[in-house]
Amino acid sequence: MKTIAIPEDLHKELMQLRIQKGNKNTAELIKEIVVEYRRKKFLEFSDLFKQKLRESGKSFDELLKASKKIKEEIADEWFPN
Amino acid sequence: MNGSLIKLVIDTNIIFMSLYDSSSKAAKIIELAEKNKLQLFSTDSVKEELIRVLKRELNFNDKQIEVNINKLPITWVEKEVYQEFLDKTKVKHKPDKPVEALALVLNCGILSADNDFKDRLNVDELLDRLEDDK
Repeated sequence: MKTIAIPEDLHKELMQLRIQKGNKNTAELIKEIVVEYRRKKFLEFSDLFKQKLRESGKSFDELLKASKKIKEEIADEWFPN
Repeated sequence: MNGSLIKLVIDTNIIFMSLYDSSSKAAKIIELAEKNKLQLFSTDSVKEELIRVLKRELNFNDKQIEVNINKLPITWVEKEVYQEFLDKTKVKHKPDKPVEALALVLNCGILSADNDFKDRLNVDELLDRLEDDK
């Protein structure tokens, strides 16, 4: 276990949020916030990926085929024997 | 942390599928890893493949690549760790050997859409199993 120091007002907010969300303890609440943050970042990556794919004019299948070719190229470079 | 967590080696195509459709089964696997319900591993060669595809095919810049790949809930494993196991792999297609070699090192299953992997895990069965474990 580790202890972190946080400002009084942030502590108050966390306590209120914990009650609202029904978390057993603050560690559980913070864990949930971290998971929500990771999900948000993944969805942002997914949105950017789809936007770039549209802009490229390629279909998803074409992208997977290009990926397979790149996999072969890497195998030849990294594992020549 | 939790020794009983399911470990899996994930292939590039599953990562791309999860990004292409964030409500897909592939994306569900990523979500479960974000929630620490399972552990995802992959090779440095898969990471390099992701980087080259995003850069060359989709015109991502270096910053976008670094920020986004590092946020994926995947532990990237260096060649030195799995190299000795390349000769022990069953898959015939050379580019697929690193993924199988890493699965041998970790003694775990492979998540791939590639039919070359005879022993790959069925994503439906895996998700059902994880649902049952809840």
